[in-house]
Amino acid sequence: MTAATLHGRAEALASTLPPLLVEAERVAAVVAQGVHGRRRVGVGESFWQFRQYEPGDPVQRIDWRQTAKRDQPFLRQLEWEAAQTVYLWRAADSGFRWRSTKSTPTKADRAGLLLLALASLLNGAGERVALLDGDSPPGLGRADLSRLAMDLQRTEAGDDSPAAALPPGRAVQAHAAMVLFSDWLAPLPAIESALAAFQSKVDHGHLVQVLDPAEVDLPYAGRIRFNGFHNETTVTLSRVDTIRQAYQERIAAQQDGLRALARAAGWQLHCHRTDQAPERALLSVFQALAGAPAV
Amino acid sequence: MLTLGPLSFLQPWLLLGLAALPVLYWLIRATPPSPRNVRFPALRLLRDLQPQEETPARTPWWLLVLRLVLVGLIIIACAGPVVNPATGLPGSGPVLLLVDNGWSAGRDWPARQAILSRAIDAAERADRSLLAAATAADGPGPPPAVSGLMRPADARGWAEQLGPRPWPGDRAALLASIAEMPDHGGLETLWLSDGLDDPTAADLAQTLQRLGRLTVYLPEAGEVPLVLDAPQTEGGDLVFSVRRPAAAVEAAGVVRLAGDDGRILARQPFTIAAESDGTDVALSLPAEARNRAALATIEDLEGAGSVVLVDERWRRRPVAIVGAAPTDSSQPLLSETYYLDRALAPFAEVWYGDLGDLLARGPAVVILPDSGQMTPDESDRLEAFMAEGGVVLRFAGPLFAANPDALVPVPLRAGDRTLTGALSWTTPQPLAPFPAESPLAGLDLPDDVLIERQVLAQPGPLVNARTWARLADGTPLVTAERRLAADGADAGWLVLVHTTAGADWSNLPLSGLFVDMLRRIVALSAGVADATDTVALRPLSTLDGFGRLGEAGAAAMPIAAGTFAETLASPSHPPGFYEAGETRRALNLAPAIGPLEPLALPPRIPTEGYAIEAELDLLPLLLAAAMVLAIVDLLASLALRGLLTIGTRRGATALVLALLLVPVLGGAIPAQAQAQGQSMSPENLALLAANGTYLAYVVTGDPEVDAISQAGLDGLSRVLTQRTAVEPEGALGVDPEYDELAFFSLLYWPITEDQPTPSADAFARLNDYLLQGGTILFDTRDAGIGRIYEADLRRLTAGLDIPPLSPVAPDHVLTRAFYLLQTFPGRYADEALWVMDADETVNDGVSPVIIGANDWAAAWAMDAVGNPQFTAVPGGEWQREMAFRFGINLVMYVLTGNYKADQVHVPAILERLGQ
Repeated sequence: MTAATLHGRAEALASTLPPLLVEAERVAAVVAQGVHGRRRVGVGESFWQFRQYEPGDPVQRIDWRQTAKRDQPFLRQLEWEAAQTVYLWRAADSGFRWRSTKSTPTKADRAGLLLLALASLLNGAGERVALLDGDSPPGLGRADLSRLAMDLQRTEAGDDSPAAALPPGRAVQAHAAMVLFSDWLAPLPAIESALAAFQSKVDHGHLVQVLDPAEVDLPYAGRIRFNGFHNETTVTLSRVDTIRQAYQERIAAQQDGLRALARAAGWQLHCHRTDQAPERALLSVFQALAGAPAV
Repeated sequence: MLTLGPLSFLQPWLLLGLAALPVLYWLIRATPPSPRNVRFPALRLLRDLQPQEETPARTPWWLLVLRLVLVGLIIIACAGPVVNPATGLPGSGPVLLLVDNGWSAGRDWPARQAILSRAIDAAERADRSLLAAATAADGPGPPPAVSGLMRPADARGWAEQLGPRPWPGDRAALLASIAEMPDHGGLETLWLSDGLDDPTAADLAQTLQRLGRLTVYLPEAGEVPLVLDAPQTEGGDLVFSVRRPAAAVEAAGVVRLAGDDGRILARQPFTIAAESDGTDVALSLPAEARNRAALATIEDLEGAGSVVLVDERWRRRPVAIVGAAPTDSSQPLLSETYYLDRALAPFAEVWYGDLGDLLARGPAVVILPDSGQMTPDESDRLEAFMAEGGVVLRFAGPLFAANPDALVPVPLRAGDRTLTGALSWTTPQPLAPFPAESPLAGLDLPDDVLIERQVLAQPGPLVNARTWARLADGTPLVTAERRLAADGADAGWLVLVHTTAGADWSNLPLSGLFVDMLRRIVALSAGVADATDTVALRPLSTLDGFGRLGEAGAAAMPIAAGTFAETLASPSHPPGFYEAGETRRALNLAPAIGPLEPLALPPRIPTEGYAIEAELDLLPLLLAAAMVLAIVDLLASLALRGLLTIGTRRGATALVLALLLVPVLGGAIPAQAQAQGQSMSPENLALLAANGTYLAYVVTGDPEVDAISQAGLDGLSRVLTQRTAVEPEGALGVDPEYDELAFFSLLYWPITEDQPTPSADAFARLNDYLLQGGTILFDTRDAGIGRIYEADLRRLTAGLDIPPLSPVAPDHVLTRAFYLLQTFPGRYADEALWVMDADETVNDGVSPVIIGANDWAAAWAMDAVGNPQFTAVPGGEWQREMAFRFGINLVMYVLTGNYKADQVHVPAILERLGQ
């Protein structure tokens, strides 16, 4: 690849990034206002951050300067002092890159948006974020956010193998949090074994199931030949409208199985449809993350 | 060929394909439409889900019907359906197409051509050769003859170039040619005849019948050719006769006389009664109009037979007789002018008066009955008149003989010579035959004409050459001298008759010879003199077979002047105008056409009419329909497979609906417009008129005239809006019987024949309108010539209080209300426009009535896009522009009154006029 074409593609890539980031940050800002407004007050100026010494507290943590001003010894207690690493992942299979109508985004686009918005929020909260399948180590700050967006863009190209629908078994830091975006339509045993790799390392994990409304409702009727994305044999159904009920039961069963599986591993499942507002899913995931105890 | 009523199939066995339709039905029905293809990520969950009721997927019934119709259409189209097919020609031999294409064929030539084309199509299908024969020669070449065998393509070429000829056909020559034709065996003849008989028609039919089968096409009784004969002059009328072969139905038409410039001079409807073979049509028109006549036609009837060219022979010349008009005195026979009047009236317009007045009116001939000595002034004026081409005819008499003057062709002896009486040895003298070079040569000499007294010429060298008529004893009776124009060219004549115009000196004025002599002498005036025998009249413009006057073709030959009168129209001499120098003569077709008799055919010959329904080949229509259905089928199939998204399907529906609605709306809009044009209730009209400025016209009841009025005033409104501050909303038709007129400043009233006379109530209403300041423009639409609608104008205005009228004065406000104008042309450019004598005290000086004849509305009429609808004659577009200027001036005049007459503007106007 010549330098010129590389440059050209880089430009094209870069030009798509800012809008995505901007959109992600816009979504994130809506959530941040609702949850985190007070955390931005300057550290060290509010008294509530100093606590009276109680018996049992380590002596090293007594703030002598404050203690010298008063009668009682005080100690400085820092919240969120140590940043947590949050691993984010989005499924890369071509089935995820699908939408039923032009009025909704593809599942992958919605998942990417949620992922970046979440990353932006976490970044603002001082957490370190990393892509599960990315090459960069977990990082903090605006530059890392951009790099993360670029890494995400790199996985944009569809992958026809069914394995791409499941998270890769990568080594992760201990006590990390993990948010995995996929449609989670793979067989439950396969999902279970894919998640088993992270079981010991992850403190709290979240599965976000992003589904197209057509996948939930099956709005088709008449004689239809369904084609898959993974070189599967096609399914031809003569009157699709008559099996809608059965299909909806099956998708509900898949979600129930997924939820049970997550609960067994101490994870949480969040379901999202692409025709819903992204803010809602983001808030739900972020609150779940924020509800986790600080170190 | 299979024939079902008017429908025939050229390849009927292909219709067997329709039997395959049920098979097709079963096949289409058994094959379900292919399913929609959908990509779906949750495929795994769908697998082995069974629909509860698996009915077999079937093609929807409407798609099934669509496809069956589609295939059926294609099968039927392939079978070659034809509506009104050319009937097959019986027999198998060659086909002879015999066409009467003389003058008589112009009337319905397209029908003949359609028959020819059909026959050639039929011959082509049957793979037969053709022979062609036309009865009229193409030009002054060989006589008409039958052609050799031709292929249908060649025959088609022959038929396309064939046209009617402006001369009679020559069936005899064709018969001879057919008799010499080699025997082709089983000849099938189609004779497209004109329905006229001639001596060889029966022979021709028998010969053709002998050669094979003969079918004769005859025109319908109402379509037989008509011939318009050259007119006779009877008094002031031109009498045309219309001839036809006697037919069982009534025929009606209109004879129209037009001038050189195409202007219509007179129209006269005629009706030929059933079973009759002709009628006379008298056109009465003033001498001035008659002198402009060039072309008489039967309106809307194509063909050279319905056209008569009019030349100077039919023109009435104004003849001025110096003296008093013969009165109804108790002794008219004693007056010289009485004899002149009786002799001249049939062919000339006769004026009386004193010399000065008469010369000012511009006569062609001045006749001086016995008169005393001329004053030098009178003499000079007559000389000037002759130098311009006029003829002065003097008669001798007692006064003349006693007072000889110099204005004579030959010197005269004083006194007169009496040839009879007690003291005379001589006897009254008859006339000698006219000298050959005299213009009077050839006139019949009655032997009872005797001259008793005369004035005598002084013998001299010039007398012999100047003598036009002599007495038997050799003394001159009529002498003449040619007068020269200022540039030395031949001009008028001074003619002296050496006896009186009354019966005092001779009985010549009592004879028919006197009338003929006067006719010849009057004809001498203004270059009407016959060219001498040796001069050839070359063709100037000739008629074609459809009766259209055009440039003379190269094949038309000149005619010697001497034989012109006997020349009949023929291929060498097509009817038309021939000229030599100043002389222009018309050669008419009618004399070459003998008596008209219906074609008498031998018995048992099948005949057919010309009216045929055109053959219509349905193949392209059916294939186009099948193509449309195929496209619909394609769209339907795509939609069934989900390849058309909802959005485009909606768009397609909208498109189809729009396509369906366009004709519906298109039909609705004109209907609405029409409804608007129809009469409105008086209340609605008042409401409309009160809310804007409208120009109004009187509804005449003649839809054509009303449409022209509407279009004309609309056009004028448009021009007014463009150019002036007057912005009329448009034109409204009103009926003075019940509509309120107060809203309109101007009422345009075209005069028609059939307009009902307004009731007393309507007259009262109109009088009110005029009294309160309204203005009516009456338009007789006849260009002032013929005064066709004059009587109707009188009838329609009988109850109106019309003040005394006079022609528009050069300084009238109408001439400068907006544009500076001196003429007021419309479609025609008649001068006369009559307005009330100016009275500044009444209604601001605006004339309540303006009367003209220029058909203004036709000049103003525009179609929807602003193109003029009628030609303005003779001035073309410039005249139309002037017509619009008149219209603008008129509207300004009625709206602003005498504002423009204000003296304030006079200096500026004078400056622009360059005075």
